[in-house]
Amino acid sequence: MSAPAGVGRTLRKIVAFFLRDFRIASGYRGALIVETLEAFFGVATFYYLSRFVSSAELSRAIPGGNNYFAFALVGFAFFDYLGIALTAFDSSIEEARQNRTLEALLVTQTPLSVILSGSAVYPFAALALRTCVYFGWGYLFFGFAPHGANWLGAAAILVASMLAFAGLGVLSASYTVLFKRGNPAKWLVLGVSGLVGGMMYPVSVLPGPLQLVARFVPVTYSLQGMRAALLSGAEWRELWPSIGALLIFAVILIPISFVVFSWALRRTKITGTLTHI
Amino acid sequence: MPPGVINAGMSERAIDVQNLKKYFPPASAGWRAFLQPFVRATHCALAGVSFSVEPGECVAIMGPNGAGKSTLFRILATLILPTEGRAAINGFDVFAQAQGTRRQFGYHTGGDEGFYTRLTGRANLAFFAAMNNLSANEIAARIAAVSEQIGISEALDAQVRTLSTGMTHRLGLARAILHEPPVLLLDEPTRSLDPLAASDFRRLLKEDLVKKHGTTLLFSSHSAAEVEEIADRVVLLEKGRVAAFDTPSRICALAGAPNLEEAAPKLMRLFREREARA
Repeated sequence: MSAPAGVGRTLRKIVAFFLRDFRIASGYRGALIVETLEAFFGVATFYYLSRFVSSAELSRAIPGGNNYFAFALVGFAFFDYLGIALTAFDSSIEEARQNRTLEALLVTQTPLSVILSGSAVYPFAALALRTCVYFGWGYLFFGFAPHGANWLGAAAILVASMLAFAGLGVLSASYTVLFKRGNPAKWLVLGVSGLVGGMMYPVSVLPGPLQLVARFVPVTYSLQGMRAALLSGAEWRELWPSIGALLIFAVILIPISFVVFSWALRRTKITGTLTHI
Repeated sequence: MPPGVINAGMSERAIDVQNLKKYFPPASAGWRAFLQPFVRATHCALAGVSFSVEPGECVAIMGPNGAGKSTLFRILATLILPTEGRAAINGFDVFAQAQGTRRQFGYHTGGDEGFYTRLTGRANLAFFAAMNNLSANEIAARIAAVSEQIGISEALDAQVRTLSTGMTHRLGLARAILHEPPVLLLDEPTRSLDPLAASDFRRLLKEDLVKKHGTTLLFSSHSAAEVEEIADRVVLLEKGRVAAFDTPSRICALAGAPNLEEAAPKLMRLFREREARA
């Protein structure tokens, strides 16, 4: 099989995964309406919280001098990408185990790496839509107006973030493959990232040791870059440090995660527990 | 020899199993479950199984619960790794060439409910066909042909959760043969079917798939009558070992029994006694 044909097949499979998940999700139309409304309440909560805490001092503390609502909304919306990256891969395995499709998938001519990647496409696409809904509500009702945003830069930050987060996600999936449920590593990463990553407050307000920890957390660079691109309209040269840091995380984490995942997979094929619930 | 085969010293039989051994770690619960992936495998499921299946042949695996039938199928289907020994399907080593092996077989188990129940049968088949590298045109044509062949055309556009057990089984078989594999691995395919549906299913396997299309069939069953009806040869498994491997009539002759239902337990008992003496 030639390389382009192989790429074409893989892409067709990724589309098949997306269509599968889209069709299943569209069978639950009520959930879509509820989620859209839930996003409204989330945005409204941030808006009124920001009105309560807003002050000139706070605005000065926020990079770019933006209002707290815009700062928190971007943090809230994009922190979700880390959450989805950490859950999408292992959820795909867990769900396939639960609905007994994992065995049927594993005997097809599709490698598990493609099964994992394909299963993550719809959750990421749905999250991108949810981000738009957040921003839409913010724009329509609460004065969120990212005028002069560097949208291409924001897209680049998003792609680099997803690559960096994917490494963490595959590591998380390795845990699920080996031990089935409960994933303390996932919650540790989410907890630490939530604390030091700058989702709700700037990293600069943290004590020195936590600021040091923040440097080793990819979401720090993701949120920093995203806010710079969307809220300050930062130019490419200002975004490169964030993009570069995220790509370094990706280059380190993705190969490690695939080595760990392959090892975990082999272990479960030896113990015969891969498809056990 | 199929393209891509590395001849690893194994014959070109449809299925070739040589001295296959499989040990599992003992099951553990509570906090010990965290250590299970690293515990030494001591529980023997297969203790050196060897047999082969010729192209176009229909071979049954018989044995009591715990004999190792499902373990054998799962190794052949590349779902688990053996502890020792070798196995090949159409010349593809199932361990060293797992990806190539998966082109050679279709796999279906009797307890197979592995479908996306909120999707239609057609959407499920299309998805799994795409996973087996069929193009969009091939998928439509194959679904039409296979559903006609298996008799599921009318149920194709219903959500799988609304289908009967028998129809879901047929859908499982359709999924297994959609990519036209030369070998079919069926683990207790009629397990939860009523006698009429099971009879239909057997006819479909023997007359249509094996005789008409030349598919090689390896299946397991607890029903001696079913095995006698469709199998060319039978592997009797007892505690992970091959107690006998021959045609149903010769197994009956060997045991001095009128049918397989009486012959199989008799031969297994003799095998156990011989093993105990050894």
